[in-house]
This record gives sequence, structure tokens and C-alpha cells, in this order.
Amino acid sequence: MSERYRTGDRVRTSTVDPDHHTRLPHYARGHVGTVVGSDGVHPLADLSAQGIQQPQQVYLVRFTARELFGHGDHSVTLSLWEDYLSDE
Amino acid sequence: MPRTNDVGGLDGFGPVVEELDEPPFHHDWEAHVMAMNRALIGQKVYNLDEFRDAVERTMSHESSYYENWFRAIRTLLKEKGVV
Amino acid sequence: MSDDHDDSAIAAQVRDLEAVLEEKGLLDPRELDQVLEAFAAKSSPANGFRVVARAWTDDGFRTRLLDDANEALPELGLSMGGGLQPQVLHVVENTADVHNVVVCTLCSCYPLSLLGPSPTWYKSPAYRSKVVSHPREVLEQFGLTLPESTRIEVWDANAESRYMVLPRRPDGTQELTEAELAGLVTRNGLIGTAAV
Repeated sequence: MSERYRTGDRVRTSTVDPDHHTRLPHYARGHVGTVVGSDGVHPLADLSAQGIQQPQQVYLVRFTARELFGHGDHSVTLSLWEDYLSDE
Repeated sequence: MPRTNDVGGLDGFGPVVEELDEPPFHHDWEAHVMAMNRALIGQKVYNLDEFRDAVERTMSHESSYYENWFRAIRTLLKEKGVV
Repeated sequence: MSDDHDDSAIAAQVRDLEAVLEEKGLLDPRELDQVLEAFAAKSSPANGFRVVARAWTDDGFRTRLLDDANEALPELGLSMGGGLQPQVLHVVENTADVHNVVVCTLCSCYPLSLLGPSPTWYKSPAYRSKVVSHPREVLEQFGLTLPESTRIEVWDANAESRYMVLPRRPDGTQELTEAELAGLVTRNGLIGTAAV
């Protein structure tokens, strides 16, 4: 499976508010972060919850608190499936 | 609307309360719910993501953690026509 | 919150459902007992304490642990298996400059096999909502005040990976044995809500 993003790439998360199960938390939607690593290939949770197994690349993506919440000097790292991400 | 479980960054849940010397389970039935869920996923009655989805659809912050689990298990078993 | 009356009612409902599932052949009462026994016997924060003590005393192990925890755990007879599916573990190291803290904002993901069942506060909306946006305040509720200069890194275990914090080895512990060092570590230290 080819990886679309590499460590150091800037990515933007989806703004979609799906009406089904998802593992992209609300607070991390529509924000720009930096890929800090690969987190393996796993079935996309959104589809797996509907009984469909579609493995896809997952990335570790780091965001500044300021980007996510408008304040704070910490950072937050999440595991995000490729479907949740687009180029900055 | 984000689902009930999706609380990251929200206000209004009060301070974090730590229970000292907390046991792994507060009631025997909680351990049974945990084990039952493992068995049903192990038997492929449903998968872990279907279970999480069911918890998210049926949970309440007023209920305890394992009460929410048990409600989700019963909902899934009903939806899948198992019971 | 439940009172005793509610608990006797739900305990009966759980028993009833178990009976129905046994009748349908979906649940084997012996299997249920095995799951519970294995969970009680193998799943304990003492596993995490041992991992930390080894990392503090064996630099090669520490490097392997941080590089690929799943590969390093078998050196101590441990693994991330035993659950529903083998999980990827990331061990994140506290340093003089960085303090790590772990949360699952969407549910309650937690490295059960290394830390045992998670405490109720870890699963509470109070912790899950606030630690991502205001970690310094939450850590202070736990009695952990970090220097302003310490950078906080929050890890949201929102997908398939699990996290464990490798705390800093306390000063003045050079003479302690590995077992004594393991005795210094706390579960909260492995989550990041305590220094050790």
C-alpha cells in the first residue's frame, strides 16, 4: 500500500460531520497539522462499523493547541486515516 | 452534530474526580458485561467498530460506563436478530 | 450514577442475557470464566511498572522500547495481545523538556494488557473533554504542576494505537534495584497524570 503522505507533510483534516461512526474527533476537524509518522494500515473505522473492511493507511498527525483551540502552548497528536486528510 | 461520546475540547463536565484504591470492577455484573462483549466479538457476532458505533448511538452521560456497554450489546443483538 | 437497587436489577438482566446467549450456543460459560480469569491474572499495571524499571536500567532496552514497543515487550515476557486484537503500542518518553499525557477523547482506549483495567476517571467525560484543550489545568487537579518551560504533548488514542508514558527516573535512585524502581512507578505515571 502506497503512502500518500510522508513525515513532515502538512495536511488538513476533513470538515465533514458524518452521521455515522468515525474516529476523527470533532475538535480536530478542519485543522492543519503535520504528519509525524506512519501508524500502520488498518480497516477504516467508519466503514468497519458498517460491516465493510477496507484497510487504509493511518498517519500520526500533530497539531498545535493554538490551531485546534485558539489557545494553549501544548500539542496534540492523533492517528488519522488517509480518508480524513487532504493536502494543506 | 457530533455524537454524545465525542467530548474532546468541550466544557461543562466539571473537575476530574479520582477514586482512590479503585477496584477493577465495582460490581460483578460489570466484569460479566466486559467478558460477554469479548466473547461476542470473538464469535464475530459483531465487530469492535460496530460495538463502538452502538455505544455512541445509545449512550448517556447519566449512565455508568458498563451500563452504556450493556445497552449497546442489547441494541446490537436486537438489530442483528440474535435475540 | 447507580444505586444498589439499580445494580441488582441490571445484574439480573445481565444474567438473563447470558442464559439466552448460552442457549443459542453463542456463549460458553466456561469461556466466560476463562476470559475473566485471564484478565484478572495477566492484566495489571505491575506489567507497565516492570517495563519502566527495565527501561531505566537498560539503555538498549529503552531504545528498543521507544523504537518498537511491540518488538521489545517479549523481552519481559509481555505482549499487547490477549485482547480482541493485537494492538500497536507507542511508548512516549518524558524528558526535561517534554511531558506526555494520554487520553482517548472518543471512548476509553487504553493499553489494558500493560496497565490493567482503566480507572473510572480515565473514562470520564470530565477528563476526556478537558485534557486535550487544557492539559496544564487537568494535571494540576492531579497535583502535578509542571514548569512553564515544560512542553506538554497530548496523545489522543483515537484509533488503533495505544500509548504508555515512560516517566523520568527520579533523582537519587541510582542505588535501587530494578524491582525497587518498579515499586516507585504509579499507574497515573504511565498515563501521564503523575510525574512517576
